[in-house]
Parts: sequence; C-alpha cells; structure tokens
Amino acid sequence: METLNFIVDRVMPALNEGAVISIQLIVPSTVLGLLFGIVLGALRVYGGSVLGALANGYAALFRGTPLVCQLLFLYYGLPNVGIYLEPYGAAVLGFSMCSAAYHSEYIRGGLLATRRGQHLAAQALGFSTLQSMLSIVVPQAVRRALPGCGNEIVYLIKYSSLAYLVTCMELTGHGKELAAQTFRFSEVFLVVGVYYLVIVTVASFLLRKLEDRLRIPGFGHA
Amino acid sequence: MEQTPVLSVENVSKTLGGNAILRSVSLDLHAGQHKVLIGPSGGGKSTLLQCMNYLIAPDTGTVRLDGQPVDAQSRKQLYAFRQQVGMIFQEFNLFDHLTALDNVAVALRKVKRMPRKAAEERARAELARVGLADRAGHYPAELSGGQKQRVSIARALAMDPKVMLLDEPTSALDPELTGEVVEVIRDLARSGMTMAMATHHMGLTRALADEILFMQDGEIIERGSPSELLADGAGTRTAEFCNHLS
Repeated sequence: METLNFIVDRVMPALNEGAVISIQLIVPSTVLGLLFGIVLGALRVYGGSVLGALANGYAALFRGTPLVCQLLFLYYGLPNVGIYLEPYGAAVLGFSMCSAAYHSEYIRGGLLATRRGQHLAAQALGFSTLQSMLSIVVPQAVRRALPGCGNEIVYLIKYSSLAYLVTCMELTGHGKELAAQTFRFSEVFLVVGVYYLVIVTVASFLLRKLEDRLRIPGFGHA
Repeated sequence: MEQTPVLSVENVSKTLGGNAILRSVSLDLHAGQHKVLIGPSGGGKSTLLQCMNYLIAPDTGTVRLDGQPVDAQSRKQLYAFRQQVGMIFQEFNLFDHLTALDNVAVALRKVKRMPRKAAEERARAELARVGLADRAGHYPAELSGGQKQRVSIARALAMDPKVMLLDEPTSALDPELTGEVVEVIRDLARSGMTMAMATHHMGLTRALADEILFMQDGEIIERGSPSELLADGAGTRTAEFCNHLS
C-alpha cells in the first residue's frame, strides 16, 4: 500500500512531467528523421557519384558512431566552434540526424525493390528524374519500407531516453532524479519502463493504422 | 520534295558492356506509317526502340522528331521530346501504386500540368477508348495482363504523342488475352497513328506492317513490305524466321 502511494503521489507526477517532454522530443524527431531519411535514401540510390557518396558517407558515420557521442558532441562540442544549442534543440537534432541514417537504409531497400520499369515508364512519359522520384518511385518505396521504418521509430522512442545526458529532462531524466532523491530505484524504474511500454504500444498501433491506410492491392498481402 | 519523317533514326550505334548492340541503324517513320521490327531475341529491337525515345542514349548517330535533332544535353528539350513519343513496354510497367485512372492521369497532371479535374476527364475518355471505362478504380494488381496493356496504351495516348513505339506489346500475355490488345492496336493503326513496333505476332504484322525490318546482331539485314518478304518462295531470312514462329 505504501508502495502504491509512493508511485501515485511521487513517481507519477514527476514522470508525467517528463513524459510530456519525451513526447515533445519524439514527435518532431520522428517526422524530421523520416523526411530526411527518405531524401538520404533516395540520394544513396539515385544521387550519382558525388551526392550518392556523400549520403553513403553520412549514413556510415551516423550508423557507425554511438548516438551518445553524437549528442555529447552536439551539445558540449559545438560551443568550441561558437555554435550553442539549447538542450532540447540539440536532442531533437541529434535524434533526427541519427534516425535519418537508419531510415535511409530501409528506404534504400524499398527503392531497390521497386522495379526499374516504373522509372522507365515515367521517363517515357516525359517525367524528369525528380518528378519520377516524387510521384512514382518514392511513394512505392516508402510503402515497402514502412514496416522497417516503424521499427526504427520504436527504437527512437527508447533512445529519446538519452536526452537527459544533454540536460534535457525527459522521462528517464525525471526518473533518475527522483530515484536518486529517494533511493527507490526499483519502483521508479519499473514505472519508467511501463511508461515507455505504453508509448511504444500506442506508436505501434498508430503505425499499423498508417500501414492499413496506405495499403494498396499488390503491395504486401492485400 | 519529300516530306520530313515524323521520327527518324540516322546511323545510330550503341555498345553495352563491350557488345555492339546496334551497328549504325537508320530508319524513317513517315506520318501514318507502321513499321514492324522482327528478328531473334538479342538482335537489338528493344534497344533500337529505346534509343528512338532516348530512354537509352545512342553512342553515335542522330534521332530526329519532325526533322529536329534531339538535343540530350538539354534536359528540358529531352523531356519535351519524350512526351511526344509514346512508348508501350512488353511488361506494361503500369505504376503499381496508382489506379488505372491515375495511371493515365498522373502524367497529364505532373508533366502537362493539367488541373486534376481536366486530367481525370481526359483519362476517363482514354480508358473508354480502350474499353476499360469500368476499370478506372482498379489497381494494376487487380487487372488481367491484357487489361494492363490496354491501360498502358491509354496512358501513352493521353499525352497526344506524334508517334508510338511498341516493344513486343503482346509477348507477355497469355494467348487468350492477346486478342483484346491486338484489337486496340489495330484500331490505333486505323486512326492513322504513326507506329514502330517490335513483335512476334504474325497476324498483327501482316495486318499492319507497311514495312518489315528484320534485325539481327544489331543490324537491319532485310527490309520490305510483308508481301515481298513473306511471299511463298521468297527465300528471305524473314520468311525463314517467320515460318519457325508459326
């Protein structure tokens, strides 16, 4: 009973405050990361030697280094060259850039699975390469990549817990603070875990809805 | 004075992966003419057709539309050129994520910048022309092969091309479905459309061809009217090849 009171009176108010910040981190990072990831994936497949190589290099760098390093570099490193980011801004930027690198891999797979004839037919009708990308190729690739991208979004929700490292106090940050004050680590982090589970469950539900909405006969099992 | 051909190809050569696919091929398509490309697989028919609308850029040689050489350096000119040359593919290449109606309308909207309503109206008219008015809302995966190819013909016609290139339009179809596509192509020919077509369909060839071009190893080795090339005892390579077909 005492534990329940502790959770309701102390843990949940603190975590609710953190959860709001977490969602404010997750939603823009998801959207920006996905949009940038689509551009990046398209460049990796169709960017030619220069842009393609740059995009590949970007993906290699951001997939090859820990997100923690990227965040710490953005927040504590960039001031050395005169760029100061707010904790919130640094976190969203770091999440979006890292997430985009992973999304680009799924998009690349979706693009490679799109038959060459689709682009050929668009070209034959007078589409420019960019128009063909925007109207024909990418809409198909995104549909094929969506399950993978959804997976990346689930990851993003959980790595948003790194934001407290750059002093952006979100769900995990609030939990850590409260646990340090009260020394009740097991209760606090058990509840923190439940919060993430709820967020991920809701996100998975929404992603499934989106997949259903975008479903077209001939793509996956109709 | 001789009329300018609608589409002409002059000394076009193409090498892919070290193999000479086309060796200095020339041909003229005059308004209303129907030319049929015949020959063994790998002879260069598809490559020639794709060079004719610059989906493949020739290594050397010139392609002219209404006497104007295609300038592939100018993207804008290239896109404008392709709009006027309709292409039908063996594998249909309908846009898999769009309905039949949107397959026809999308280029009108994105390339010709027509308003949505006008584009859809035109698309409906073209679908009706190929007998598919009642399939407007179907996705490619919900259409038969013959229906897909008819949608692809409607899609090309909606752009008001000056000439149509058809790359084995019936070869990917089950035999019982070729009839409906052949009928649409014959209607198109009767309407006076200028066409170049690669096909192994002898009925279509005999019915349409003003001239047969027999291609082998990247060259046109015989050309002439069907009656010349296919006559009994003509002894042509074309006749020999066509006898093996049927």
